[in-house]
Amino acid sequence: MSIPELIVQNWPRLLAGLSMTVQLTIISLIIAGVLGLIFGLLSVSKKKTMRAIALVYVDVVRGTPLIVQAFFIYFGIPAALGIRLDANLAGIITLSLNAGGYLAEIFRGGIESISKGQMEAARSLGLPYGLAMRKVILPQAIRTMTPALINQCIITLKDTSILSIIGIQELTQTGRLIIANNYQSFEVWTIVAMMYFVIIMILSKISKRIERRMSYGKSENNES
Amino acid sequence: MGKVKITNLKKNFGELEVLKDINLEVTEREVICIIGASGSGKSTLLRCINALEEASSGKVEVDGNDITGAHAEINKYRQNIGMVFQQFNLFPHMTVLQNISFAPVSLKLKTKKEAEEKALQLLRRVDLEEKANAYPDQLSGGQQQRVAIARALAMDPDVMLFDEPTSALDPEMVGEVLNVMKKLAKEGMTMIVVTHEMGFAREVADRVIFIHEGYILEEGPPSEFFGNPKNERTISFLNMVL
Repeated sequence: MSIPELIVQNWPRLLAGLSMTVQLTIISLIIAGVLGLIFGLLSVSKKKTMRAIALVYVDVVRGTPLIVQAFFIYFGIPAALGIRLDANLAGIITLSLNAGGYLAEIFRGGIESISKGQMEAARSLGLPYGLAMRKVILPQAIRTMTPALINQCIITLKDTSILSIIGIQELTQTGRLIIANNYQSFEVWTIVAMMYFVIIMILSKISKRIERRMSYGKSENNES
Repeated sequence: MGKVKITNLKKNFGELEVLKDINLEVTEREVICIIGASGSGKSTLLRCINALEEASSGKVEVDGNDITGAHAEINKYRQNIGMVFQQFNLFPHMTVLQNISFAPVSLKLKTKKEAEEKALQLLRRVDLEEKANAYPDQLSGGQQQRVAIARALAMDPDVMLFDEPTSALDPEMVGEVLNVMKKLAKEGMTMIVVTHEMGFAREVADRVIFIHEGYILEEGPPSEFFGNPKNERTISFLNMVL
């Protein structure tokens, strides 16, 4: 069968796989965003224990392969506790914890990139630390973080393919199942690769637009 | 009663003793200029007054409130102490108007409308009304510093601290900022100014203070301080800068 024929024949399955990939990505990134913000804030805390907690989390995430994390969460933990964990849930937990670690580092970098004077100015006006962080530091930090954030979104989307290993029927697993039927490895992997590529290109285009929108009052009519 | 009262203030950064024993009382409506070489501790002293630096020992009181003690209250006390920084530190993601109205609104001291009206009024005072909707990046250094002064005034502070407010400015913009400060002094604001502008100190200060290696070595009204300095260090410093 030719590639177009294969696409037509398998379109519902491919679409379902792609949909699963996108859902896993979105849910995981939302949870990871919360984790990243929390641990990013911990890592810039004045308190040593707070920073230590963030450091341990980030180091564990960065120091182990994603596939090992997935196995640990899907097989390891349930075995130790004597429970059964749904593969999709295990996948979401794995991806969230993983991306959360990288996002924490991105948040830390973003916050630290903002000059100390900004926090001091806000505090000198009587703002409590949390309010100053939320209204003054984070809006600026997130702007400088945008390229790194988008990069992490793309990485997480691609990382969902690793979850095929624990049997989640996302796009890559769908490809493997189709090949198991027809043995057309070259054609099917071409289709799967193209689908990833198109989705990521769309994401990149959208994010470029967001990035452009987020620049404010950039010296268009500097009159100094 | 003193507006600002500093007793036996000491500040170390690790091994380094920056402030060794500072005693200073500032009365209401007084304008104090603090001068001294870089590294003498003058900015640190200023930053201890609103607890941007934590005192190692000693006491700082503003309006009778112990700044060095109760940490829960520090946000409240700071509302009464305006601060202007060398690097302006305007919020780049906010317009000029938002920069000024932001703190009173966020702290729920004023409604948005009240705060913006007040901000416009303050902008008129620093002669920048037409820049209300500009972003800091679009302003010159002198204009940014005037906005920063307006931002501090928006909290209706009792005391204003100035940390080398003209040191980061191009020479032609120093005058406009000093003029705003002179006006403020004339209106009766209590001001503590760390500065290298000897002309300003001579003209506006009620008292000039010379800091050297963490001690106040000499203080007095400008006529006396500049006309007849007594301490050897003061004399050699003044010879260098005048």
